[in-house]
Amino acid sequence: MQLLEQTQDGVRLTVSTPEADIRAAAVANDSLILEFETFRDGRGFSLAAILRGQGYQGRLIAAGKVLPDQVRHLRRCGFDAVELAPGADAAPWRRMDQAFSAAYQPASGHDRQVWRQRHAAPTQNAAVALAARLNAQWGEADAEDLLRAVLDPTLGRKAAVISSFGAEAAVLLHLISRVRPDLPVVFLETGQHFFQTLAYRRDLADRLGLTDVRDIAPDAAALSKADPRSDLWRSAPDACCAVRKVQPLAQALAGFDTRITGRKRYQNRQRADLMPFEAIGGVLTVNPLAKWSVQRIEAWLRDHQLPRHPLVEQGYPSIGCWPCTRAVEPDEDARDGRWAGQEKTECGIHARVLIPAC
Amino acid sequence: MKLLTANRLNDGRVIYLGEADTAVEAIDAARILDADAAEAALVLAQSRPAVFVNPYLIEVEGRAPSGRDRLKESIRSVGPSVGHSLAFVARNETA
Amino acid sequence: MYRYDEFDAALVRERIAEFSDQVDRRSKGELTEDQFKPLRLMNGVYLQLHAYMARIAVPYGVMNSRQMRQLAHVARTYDKGYGHFTTRTNIQFNWPALQDLPAILSDLAEVEMHAIQTSGNCIRNVTTDVFAGVAADEIEDPRPWCEIIRQWSTIHPEFSFLPRKFKIAIVGAPKDRAAIRTHDVGLQIVRGEDGQTAFRVFVGGGQGRLPHIAQEIASAVPGQSLLAYLTAILRAYNLLGRRDNIHKARIKILVAALGIDAFREEVERQYAILRQEDLRIPDEELARIQAYFTPPPFEALPIISPAYDAARRLNPEFARFTRSNLREHKQAGYGAIIVSLKPIDGVPGDVTADQMEVVADLAARFSFDEVRASYEQNLVLPHVRLEDAHAVWSRLREAGLATANADLATDIIACPGLDYCSLANARSIPVAQALSRQLADADLQEKLGPVRINISGCINACGHHHVGHIGVLGVDRKGEEYYQITVGGSPDEQAALGEIVGRSLPANEVAPAIARALDRYLEVRTDGELFIDTVRRLGADPFHTAIYEPIDAVA
Repeated sequence: MQLLEQTQDGVRLTVSTPEADIRAAAVANDSLILEFETFRDGRGFSLAAILRGQGYQGRLIAAGKVLPDQVRHLRRCGFDAVELAPGADAAPWRRMDQAFSAAYQPASGHDRQVWRQRHAAPTQNAAVALAARLNAQWGEADAEDLLRAVLDPTLGRKAAVISSFGAEAAVLLHLISRVRPDLPVVFLETGQHFFQTLAYRRDLADRLGLTDVRDIAPDAAALSKADPRSDLWRSAPDACCAVRKVQPLAQALAGFDTRITGRKRYQNRQRADLMPFEAIGGVLTVNPLAKWSVQRIEAWLRDHQLPRHPLVEQGYPSIGCWPCTRAVEPDEDARDGRWAGQEKTECGIHARVLIPAC
Repeated sequence: MKLLTANRLNDGRVIYLGEADTAVEAIDAARILDADAAEAALVLAQSRPAVFVNPYLIEVEGRAPSGRDRLKESIRSVGPSVGHSLAFVARNETA
Repeated sequence: MYRYDEFDAALVRERIAEFSDQVDRRSKGELTEDQFKPLRLMNGVYLQLHAYMARIAVPYGVMNSRQMRQLAHVARTYDKGYGHFTTRTNIQFNWPALQDLPAILSDLAEVEMHAIQTSGNCIRNVTTDVFAGVAADEIEDPRPWCEIIRQWSTIHPEFSFLPRKFKIAIVGAPKDRAAIRTHDVGLQIVRGEDGQTAFRVFVGGGQGRLPHIAQEIASAVPGQSLLAYLTAILRAYNLLGRRDNIHKARIKILVAALGIDAFREEVERQYAILRQEDLRIPDEELARIQAYFTPPPFEALPIISPAYDAARRLNPEFARFTRSNLREHKQAGYGAIIVSLKPIDGVPGDVTADQMEVVADLAARFSFDEVRASYEQNLVLPHVRLEDAHAVWSRLREAGLATANADLATDIIACPGLDYCSLANARSIPVAQALSRQLADADLQEKLGPVRINISGCINACGHHHVGHIGVLGVDRKGEEYYQITVGGSPDEQAALGEIVGRSLPANEVAPAIARALDRYLEVRTDGELFIDTVRRLGADPFHTAIYEPIDAVA
């Protein structure tokens, strides 16, 4: 929990404000300060929990008469920070924030949740161990052999492919079509694709004979709440990715213990150490093309006469949704056209499993 | 006349303000206060939260609680009128 | 019964460390008493008339012998050699020092006990039917669900600063042996349309100054959705419950103010917008917890036990005990024994350290190491072979725990009253003692049959007098102790609030008055009619006359 020693600027509402007004304020502001008039007034906890449950990604600050002993409750209900009273000693706040190693209830934040921990621990450890073993055994192998190995029925994995149907997607999808053309392929129909991407997606799937391509759209109710004017990308691109990509993907992949992606080391700095096999949140993630060079990708596409995404020749080596994708300059990395001018480099679908609110 | 009473922080026992501003357990040792002294005593007790929890003033005639809360204050001064704590006291006295 | 894994154990230990930190900060003045009070209450520590009182949780009333022995150890080491079982099946110690509490809690943690959330404006101990897993009319054992709710509600980040306390009770049978309709939320297990476990949900019950019987808010919430639904109820209450007046802050007031239909709509709105999938009880977790509550390894016994029958024939006192205190068990050849904590002229619900040791021994030897606390403030040995019943009774009798009065007139439920409690207007224990002496005759009690008498020392109604067949409420008339009598209350599935019979009476007139009322009952009842049914049939008038006519005549 962040402890703030200065009085914060921004929209400030007391916890006695009606829920509907708090929710309206959240829609209009990417940061809110909720003021507790007395520490016994627990409404602030529910208000924060409701906002987070609705997907609010903005900053929530608790202020007013709160006790250090409430810091964990505040954090777990979704507050990012506490505005301390002037001259307050931060030490008890820090101490109380660490007072418990786990919690029974699901909540915001990264506390170990006991029910998950009880039953997930073996799975998480198993995925980590499996990834290590597969890297050791197949890490240097041919991409197709590597895929066959992980899709071997004796391993018992339930796998799906995630594809953007973007600039280089054809390589992975071609390999999949040679090994298991009926493997589920998940395409995130964010609602903000270039029309060329949608056309390409249909064309490529037909050509490769992929029989189970799944178009995953965001949840309509969640979308209309979070991004009613389709302009969330402007103010809060993380929130936009969250509702259009991360959350729908999490839903679509529930029940799959293995995900196959086309990620490669050369795509950006953050992926420089990518391994063919990883465990992320208990899920085995397979990146068969991790160590391929851009030349090898090009050669494959040429040698197998695979159709290219039409925008590639227009200078888009990496293609996402249209608002957040631009062409790149010759001296830039392939993904530098993604969220250009922002710190954001990843949409988040390959990151830790989504953590739910109270 | 009044007495000042409270519970003691560390063990919760009933205490009264005694001579020299000490906390005493026996009502007989409590300092009898007139109106002015009573207000001062209350302020004093409130300034010592490490000893006096929820201090307040009670009415007495002599050393017997009087007024509306006399029964409650009598029970506070001697302990429960029934039950196993009596047996405990009896056992410990004869031991 | 449930056993802690390393997560449960870690949480309890961490809680003790947190509380010790808080005690330390209070001692140093870093916390005021006003700030410290809710924190200590959430660790079960009250400040009463004479001392601190520590209320130790007995989750859904279930204990094993090791825990009972540790309670005896705490009573002897840190207290005055006894404890008191409450109507919420917790145990209270009346004399612990604040500085001893970390040690007390640590000793209790060793046997998987704690005092978390036994007080404060948070979710309290979940209570249930003391005959769970015993009674033949049970649809499903409610105790795994009690344990699930216990874990979910423990140190809940959203619901630790509610407008007021929140009490939940669950039953697994149509018969309500846990007074669920007097709770903030009452749950009754039913079968859903798909044959799976579902819950009939009641909301807005409560006693106190403004008693209410709970109303049904949902008829069959699927088990997997229970926590999500409870979250919705708690969330609605947390946001809308009154915070301006502690006497109007319970959920019963909110439900009454909005009306059940509007309240239901609000709960359903909250339910629709919360992330239900996060609160879905994982199947593995439910199965894991249910595994702790499978029946013990019963022997295959015949229904009739010749040894038991012979003992009854030979010993009329034992026979009488079995008529009142031995209850049918669904397993052939077994019975549940009610250990009476209501000796004539005793303090209802109190038990000494020595008595706790006796009960612990009996539980270990004769009841598969299980003993339970009941809503009526007694203990129950749930799984006793009939052939062992006489041996158990003999031992109980030696220890003063074999009064043959379960559910009879001297099985009085009483709060501690003005002898202990700073909220009380009047003493309740001496009234209970006098009444118990008045009605002591065992033959008379059997003749009267089941009569629930409840005594509260003040309007907070911790003795549950509103739902007593006969209720007694202590009131303060200009510094004197007076008592109001009610009749016709009922805590079960025919829940009802008692009706005041007339003006309040001084302490020494209460027992004779109630005796007169019971005599009148004997005169007017039809064959086999229970007291409560006579009241339902005839109303309060005959009892009003019986009580007041003689004393008005003299006046």
